[in-house]
Amino acid sequence: MLQLTDKTNEQIISVSAYKRKETIRNYATAALFLAPFMVLYIWFWIYPIIQGFITSLTTGSYGVEQNFVGLSNYAYMLTDNKFWVSFGNTLYFILISTPTIVVLGLIMALIVNSKLKGTTILRSAFFMPYMLSISVVGSIWVFILQSRTGLLAETFQLFGYTMEISWFGSWGMGWLSILIATLWWTVGFNMILFLAGLQEIPEEIYEAADIDGASSWEKFRYITFPSLRGVTALVILLQTIASFKLFGQTFLITNGGPGISTTPLVHYIYQVAFRQWDMGYASAISFVLFLVISLIAFIQYKVLMKKD
Amino acid sequence: MLKRTILSKKFWMYFFAYLLAAIMVFPLLWMLISSFKPPGSTVTVLNQLLSAPFSLESYQAVLRPDGTAMMWRWTFNSVLVGVVQTVVTVLFSSWAAFAVSRIPFKGKGFIFVFTFIGLMVPMESIVVPLFNMIVDLNWVNTYHALIWPGMMLPLAFLILKQFIDQLPNELLEAAKIDGAGFFTMWAKIILPLSKSSMAAVSIFIFIQSWNNLLWPLLVAQERSMMTLPVGIPTFQSNFATDLAIPMASNVVASIPALIVFLLFQKHIIRGIALSGIK
Repeated sequence: MLQLTDKTNEQIISVSAYKRKETIRNYATAALFLAPFMVLYIWFWIYPIIQGFITSLTTGSYGVEQNFVGLSNYAYMLTDNKFWVSFGNTLYFILISTPTIVVLGLIMALIVNSKLKGTTILRSAFFMPYMLSISVVGSIWVFILQSRTGLLAETFQLFGYTMEISWFGSWGMGWLSILIATLWWTVGFNMILFLAGLQEIPEEIYEAADIDGASSWEKFRYITFPSLRGVTALVILLQTIASFKLFGQTFLITNGGPGISTTPLVHYIYQVAFRQWDMGYASAISFVLFLVISLIAFIQYKVLMKKD
Repeated sequence: MLKRTILSKKFWMYFFAYLLAAIMVFPLLWMLISSFKPPGSTVTVLNQLLSAPFSLESYQAVLRPDGTAMMWRWTFNSVLVGVVQTVVTVLFSSWAAFAVSRIPFKGKGFIFVFTFIGLMVPMESIVVPLFNMIVDLNWVNTYHALIWPGMMLPLAFLILKQFIDQLPNELLEAAKIDGAGFFTMWAKIILPLSKSSMAAVSIFIFIQSWNNLLWPLLVAQERSMMTLPVGIPTFQSNFATDLAIPMASNVVASIPALIVFLLFQKHIIRGIALSGIK
C-alpha cells in the first residue's frame, strides 16, 4: 500500500481517513453486488423454510381459520400408516435404484472412456434420454410397458408368445416399471460423473501397470476402482437425494397406485397438500423430508471436503 | 492362438457396447417412427410400424393452433421460463460470487455458509409454503409464479465463486491501478474470463428448468400457462390406444432439448461434472 517516508501526524490521519472511506465504499459495493441474489434467495428459499415450519404447527386450509396446534401434526405422523408406507416406498426405491445406477453408469463410463471406435456416438446414445422431459419419458414407458397393447406385449405376441404381465398393477411390478424408466432417463447423468472421475486418473499409472504385465481386470481392481471411490460416493449420495425427491415418474407412470403402493414421500405430500388441502400436515411431512435431505447433503459436503 | 482371443475379446466389447447403445436409443427411435404414422394406426406392432403408410398428419393434429394441444404456447412458455431463469440465475450469482470472492469486507464466511444451506433445501420440501406465498401474492397462473421460485441460485453461486477464486489477483490489481471501479472489473475481466464456466452452469440450469414438473403443475392451472411437462400429459390422457398423435407431441417437445444437446454437448458435460465434483 502507501509507503510513508515522512510520518507526520497529519499524513497518518489522512491515510486512516482514506482507509475508512475505502472500507465503507467496499461494503457499499459488495452490498450492491449481493443484493439481487440475496433478495431472491431469502424470499424464495430461506423464508419458505421458516414459513413451512410455522405452518406445520397449525391446522386449517384456504378459507379455514388457521389454528396453532403445536407438534400434533408430527405426533399424527407417527401413527399415520400412509406416511410410513410412502417413506418405506422411498427407501425401497433407493435400495433398488442405487446399485443399478452405479453399476450401469460405471459400465457406460468405462465403455465411453475406452479406446473403442465411435465413443462420441456411444456417449450421445447413452446420454440422450437425459435431455428428455419427464412427461416424454413417462409416456414412452407407459406405451412400451402397458399390458396387452404395449410395445413389449405386442412384440412378444408377434413371436407367438403371450405376455400376461400387468406392469403397473402391483407393488413389485409398479416399482420395476418406475426403476426401468428412471434408469433409462438418468443413467447418462451418472455416466458423465464417472467419466469425469476416470479422466482424472493419470495415464502413466496404466502404462506402469502395463510394463508390470497387469491384466485388464487387475488394472480395474487396483487402479480404476480405488481412484473412483470419491465419485462413487458422490453418485450414491446424489442418487439417494434424487430418490427422496422422486415424484414425476410415479405421478405419470403408475399414479402412485395401485392404492398407495408406489407412492413415494413427495407424491404423498402432494396428495395431502393439493388433494386433501391439509397444509399443516403436508408442511410437517415436508419438514421431515427437508431434515432427511439436509442430513444427506451434509454428509455429501463432508465427503467432498475430505477429497480436497 | 493368443491373437485370436484378443480379437474375439475386442469383438465382444464392441458387440456389448453397441448393443447397450441400441437399447438406449431404441425407445427414441420408436417414438420418432411412430410419430410419422397417420393418426389411429397401430404403432406397437413392429411389422405394421415399419410398413407404409407414413404421413405428417399426426404432426398437423398436434400443431394445429385450434386443437386441444397448445404445443406452440407450451413450448413458448417452457422456453421463456427456462431462458429467463437461466439468465437471471447466472447473472445474479456471478455478481454475488464476484463480491464474495474479490471485494474486501467482513462476513464472507457467513454468506458462504448461508448460501450453502440453500444447496441442502430441495424445492420439493418447500413447495407447500411456496405455493401459499404464490396464492397470497395472487400469482397463480402468471409467469412470475413460474419463473421466480425454483431458480438454482446457490449451486450457480458456489460454482462461479470457486472459479473466480482461482483467477490470478494480478489482473484485478492492474485494473485497480488503472482506476477501474468494481463494476468495470466485473464486466471487463471477470465476465469474459468466466464465460465457459457460465455457459456450463447455464445449460445445466436450463435443462433442470426445462424438465421441471412439480412446480409448474401446481401454479399453472390454466391451459395457456402450462409448460410442456405439464401440458403434454393432460393432452395425451385423451388418447387410449391411438399412440401416433401422442408420439408426435413427444417428438415436438423433445426437439428443442435435443438441439440444445447437439449444439452444446461439451458444455452440458462440463456443467454436470462441475455440479457434482468441483
